[in-house]
Amino acid sequence: MEASTPTVIVTHGLSKEYDMGAEIVHALRGVDIQIRSNEFIAVMGPSGSGKSTLMNVIGCLDTPTAGEYILNGVPVQDLEDDELARIRNREIGFVFQTFNLLPRATALHNVELPLIYAGVKAGERRERAARALGLVSLADRMQHQPNELSGGQRQRVAIARALVNEPSILLADEPTGNLDSSTSAEIMSLFVDLHRQGQTIIMVTHEHDIAEFAERIITLVDGMVASSHATLTTAPFASTAPPVISEP
Amino acid sequence: MSIFEALRVALTQLWAHKLKSIFSLLGVVIGITFLIAVITVVEGMNRYVQEDFAGSLFGVNTFSVVRRPTVSTGNRSAEERRRLDRNPYPDLDDVEALRNAVPDARYFAYRDARRMREVWHGVRRRRNIRVIGGSEDYQDVQGWKIEEGRGLTPLDQQRGLKVAVIGPEIAEKLFPAGSPLGRQIRLEAHRYEVVGVFERKGGLLGNAWDAAILMPYEAYNQTLSRKRDRVLEISVKTNNESELQVAMDAAEEALRISRGLRPGEENNFYFQTSSGLLSAWETINNILLAAVPGLVSISLVVGGIVIMNIMLVSVTQRTREIGVRKAMGATQRDIMMQFLAESSFISLLGAALGILFGLGLGKLVERFSPLPASIPPWAVATAIALGLLVGLSSGIYPARRASRLNPIDALRYE
Ligand SMILES: Nc1ncnc2c1ncn2[C@@H]1O[C@H](COP(=O)(O)OP(=O)(O)OP(=O)(O)O)[C@@H](O)[C@H]1O
Ligand SMILES: [Mg+2]
Repeated sequence: MEASTPTVIVTHGLSKEYDMGAEIVHALRGVDIQIRSNEFIAVMGPSGSGKSTLMNVIGCLDTPTAGEYILNGVPVQDLEDDELARIRNREIGFVFQTFNLLPRATALHNVELPLIYAGVKAGERRERAARALGLVSLADRMQHQPNELSGGQRQRVAIARALVNEPSILLADEPTGNLDSSTSAEIMSLFVDLHRQGQTIIMVTHEHDIAEFAERIITLVDGMVASSHATLTTAPFASTAPPVISEP
Repeated sequence: MSIFEALRVALTQLWAHKLKSIFSLLGVVIGITFLIAVITVVEGMNRYVQEDFAGSLFGVNTFSVVRRPTVSTGNRSAEERRRLDRNPYPDLDDVEALRNAVPDARYFAYRDARRMREVWHGVRRRRNIRVIGGSEDYQDVQGWKIEEGRGLTPLDQQRGLKVAVIGPEIAEKLFPAGSPLGRQIRLEAHRYEVVGVFERKGGLLGNAWDAAILMPYEAYNQTLSRKRDRVLEISVKTNNESELQVAMDAAEEALRISRGLRPGEENNFYFQTSSGLLSAWETINNILLAAVPGLVSISLVVGGIVIMNIMLVSVTQRTREIGVRKAMGATQRDIMMQFLAESSFISLLGAALGILFGLGLGKLVERFSPLPASIPPWAVATAIALGLLVGLSSGIYPARRASRLNPIDALRYE
């Protein structure tokens, strides 16, 4: 089983420092993780422990100051700007806590965005974006602008946008952070569905009941991996997930 | 991302910020309006001078002998003006001398003329007219065309018949109902038969000619002349430009001899050519045209700076949007293109409006002056090229700034 699920993400000694002049902030201090295809991972930890920083580095939105990050066998830390843009476009689907939709664009256009930058032609683009919106049950809200949608609907648009280009990983930084508990549950059941269909998901959360939807919880403390353990979730591969290297 | 896509985004943006977009256009609109308006006027002036003005007064390859210049070109000293004023009018003796000096001229014509208070037909009259006694070739030198009836013939001239070709305004006034042909007009105590009507000339100078009466020089000399045998102007048209100079030299020599001028004595006559007149217009044009690049570039530079500032503000305001686009896979080039498309579109729109306004100004000038509104295609092409240039150069810095934003910093921007 271990051999049949390829490793998507490997990091070695991943570090991120912010030079604040007076002091140097160590947001990440040597993170080593391995994530296999089709895993559903929750990242937890106290505020300021480096969860968002880690997600941004994994999502190629930010670059590490030291260490190695290998995505689908490609050492990402050496790549040029344009290649990073291409990875963000093809390999990564990012869901933000604050949705980050274009305010003046329709739901459909927002979902089309990654396809525009992928160079997909207008006709096919519209069709795929519409299908992605259908997947998150928003087929009837395609022409709505974000301010005409509820928080949960906005986040579903953002998820459709993250998925439309069929990325190898779905990254979500506190996707339910701005939502009430029933809307959060909707989003989580969507994630569980996606995971069942084979999507690799990494999700940051503060809430234990949200984290329980994942198969494995990685806990960060002070920019380091403090623990990594399987949850009680009945997800198909949860019990067989390999132990994760975690250096204190 | 295709250019089309970038333009679409740009359009959406501009539409969303209509007021801001309109302000950002102003500088370019003013610059291009000015450019087009000046070129329209200068071109109109050129056409007018070359086709209407010079053509109707003097014609191409034509020189005239006159007492003194009819149109003052350049500065003359008071003394020179006094000297010109002392020149005697040309007369029929000068005509003979000149005719012999340039035997192979294309046209050789002379005229006398006077303003008269009124011309009558029965109880109808037209005031304030011009009466010309012209030699045989005169109407051809002028390039006057006949609308109705005929022009003057050699027979009219030889016999000094009291016939007249009248301008359209006189025809309208004196003969509002029927044809004027064969009818009589009266000038002072003299009667003349109308044999033809000129085509309307229109325009500033044309107005004077449209109320003119042409009769054979001989008839004029016998009846209306203020001074017997006087001519106001002797015009010679040569076959081409090179003959013009030769003919003028020969004419000068012959006139000096016939007037008995001693060597070293100044000419007591004046040669007027259309090219001399044209050069005066050219000087005016050149001054106008020389002012264009300076003034246009000032307003375009100002317009460019305005666009650049607005684009910089726009980049700042849309930092998060840029972050989102980058997170979704936009490359630096994509973002560059988006902002360049926007600034170019603003600027081109400004140029388009400028072309329209400039043309409008040209049309206004056309309405209230004899200058035709003439806008050459190259001016439109230049305006568009300048618009694009301003758009690209004012957009490049903001676009670069936008494209170089770090995605995560852009996303976090408050
Ligand atoms: N741009 C930045 N400049 C300076 N320091 C930063 C920057 N971004 C993050 N940090 C610091 O890095 C550390 C980790 O931040 P990060 O946002 O990754 O924490 P987090 O675990 O996501 O916290 P939270 O749960 O509050 O979202 C914090 O101490 C933070 O102050
Ligand atoms: Mg965070």
